Amino acid sequence: MNMTLADRLTAIAFAALGLAMAVGGYTMDRLEIRRIHPASIPGLVPMILGVLLVICAVVLWREARAANSEDAAIFKDGSWTRLGLTAAATLIYAIVLVGWLPFIWSTGIFVFSFAAIFSWREGAGRGAQAKSIAGALMLAVATAWGTSILFRDVFLVRLP
Amino acid sequence: MSALTDLFAALVGLMTPGMIFHAAWATLLGIVIGSLPGLTATMGVALMTTLTYSLDSTAAILVLICMYVGAIYGGSRSAILLNIPGTPASAATSLDGYPLAKQGRAGYAMGLATAGSMLGTLVGIVLLVMIAPPLAEAALNFGSFEFFWLAVFGVVISGQLTADSTPVKGYIAGILGLMVAMVGSEGIHAHVRFNFGLSDMNAGIGLIPAMVGAFGFAEVLNAMWGRAGILATAKDKSDRILPELIDLWRYKVTIVRSGVIGTLVGIIPGVGEDIGAWASYVAARRTSKEADRFGKGSHEGLTAAETGNSAVVPGSLIPAITLAVPGSASSAVLIAALFIHGIRPGPLIMIEQPQFISSVAAMLILATLFMGFYGLTLTRAFVQVLRVPYAYLMPVVFVLCVIGTYALSQRIFDIWVMVFFGLAGFVLRQMKYPMAPLVLGIILGDLLDKSLRRGLTLSDGDLTPFFTRPVSLAFVVLIAVSILANFSFVRRRVSGLLRRKREERDA
Repeated sequence: MNMTLADRLTAIAFAALGLAMAVGGYTMDRLEIRRIHPASIPGLVPMILGVLLVICAVVLWREARAANSEDAAIFKDGSWTRLGLTAAATLIYAIVLVGWLPFIWSTGIFVFSFAAIFSWREGAGRGAQAKSIAGALMLAVATAWGTSILFRDVFLVRLP
Repeated sequence: MSALTDLFAALVGLMTPGMIFHAAWATLLGIVIGSLPGLTATMGVALMTTLTYSLDSTAAILVLICMYVGAIYGGSRSAILLNIPGTPASAATSLDGYPLAKQGRAGYAMGLATAGSMLGTLVGIVLLVMIAPPLAEAALNFGSFEFFWLAVFGVVISGQLTADSTPVKGYIAGILGLMVAMVGSEGIHAHVRFNFGLSDMNAGIGLIPAMVGAFGFAEVLNAMWGRAGILATAKDKSDRILPELIDLWRYKVTIVRSGVIGTLVGIIPGVGEDIGAWASYVAARRTSKEADRFGKGSHEGLTAAETGNSAVVPGSLIPAITLAVPGSASSAVLIAALFIHGIRPGPLIMIEQPQFISSVAAMLILATLFMGFYGLTLTRAFVQVLRVPYAYLMPVVFVLCVIGTYALSQRIFDIWVMVFFGLAGFVLRQMKYPMAPLVLGIILGDLLDKSLRRGLTLSDGDLTPFFTRPVSLAFVVLIAVSILANFSFVRRRVSGLLRRKREERDA
């Protein structure tokens, strides 16, 4: 995707968000029943911000058109596989595992999987592969145990 | 004189074994975090905030300041050795540091960077002690009208100066931050806004989860997305690491100028260390007698960049402490940490805790001393730190992001907030939206909202006082000039007018 297209798509998204914010502010309870000053209604600033975001979105759209000649690609210079694996591992850990399994187990599983996946070298010798698994295991045990002790016993946090 | 006495007393007060121990480990950890590409100073300070909840307030703030100073300095290690700035603040350092390393003088370059950073921080500390108390006193006269424009000015100027491509992206980031601040119970009538039926959102979006997401999780994604850097270091043939005093004396003007520029850049809301370094570097090149050596291993260029970025740290604390308006993204986290530890930054700081500015200056001095010690003694050891693979580093960072955000209120919801801001931060950064205005918007949203509505209530709905009070008017002019300067037709018109004036005068 190039920057022009990305800017245009985000301009549309921001315009919609701004509009939603402005409408949300306009329709927000004006607390007349509490006899507040009309200039201090809670929806005032959201309305202003919504309008400003719409204006900025329009400027962004126009600038995207103007900058067409020196267009640059975005989301390049990176690896989608690495990003996908990282996003999957982190999201599964933060959204699913934490709160479902005891913290020490969820952390151990996450750190081991992450370290093992990214330190694994396809085609490397058995020794090197065993070393990366052992390294991941040691890191997982140390991190899970260390953070659990630190937060539970030192900071007195009730772990998830 | 009284400021010096206060500073000395504060320094003596910090000289307990416990405080020295905290300063020692926090500065070292900061240098390590800063030197690792992919881990930034803001991320370090945000994560450390979550680890210092249980410390007493002085120790916690000392740890955070040492982490901040250490991380900004630490970025120079990888900038010099790998040509990869450890933090954005060190981008200018790599221009002359890496060529020096390639010439086999990495040790000397790091020594020079250490000296520059120390001197820059010291210049900033002097200005902090000089500027902060009168600024806080002046801010005591600020009313709702002035605070409203101060908040607007912060977001506008930060958006303007930190945007990579076009200022509108900076403005959008700022507005998005302000919108985030609109979620939850508002500060005047306690009316809950935009909670979408979720009771967890009644208290609003926490700054720490948002910051840990935008600077922690987003950095993890960013680091794993990018191609892994090749950690190859040039062999060091430096005969000495300690910089020659004659070198430092020769560049005394550059050092003082860069220190002052860095501090002033730090004072501007939301404009961080990277801009301080670039501004100092450009000013040094413009005035240098050996400008042709810049970019090829110039000692002066390296000194200017490092002095400039380090001076931003004390500079950014000036508005953070006196106005509760952060001078950089890291100082935004520091403001949140101050609130957590019961310290209320803002104009009342000189009344409620008159010694606080001296204490912060003393903490900065302690951090600078440790920075110098580590910088000159552990130069070669840092090379080993840079070899830690992301596969082992990033999962640990993410675990700290998760448990750190959870620990503050012990709510799973905060973890979701962190994840949301991490994903949003990654996408926005890829699309060249700066993060500093977003953070500034989140922190200034409440001030802006309350000041506008309070001001309107006081003036019975009349907008005039927002434009006629002297300080308000000054802010309005500054904001208008910075926004209008973006439009080419305005720039053309102004330069045309100036040219005509000059011609008339010549004629």
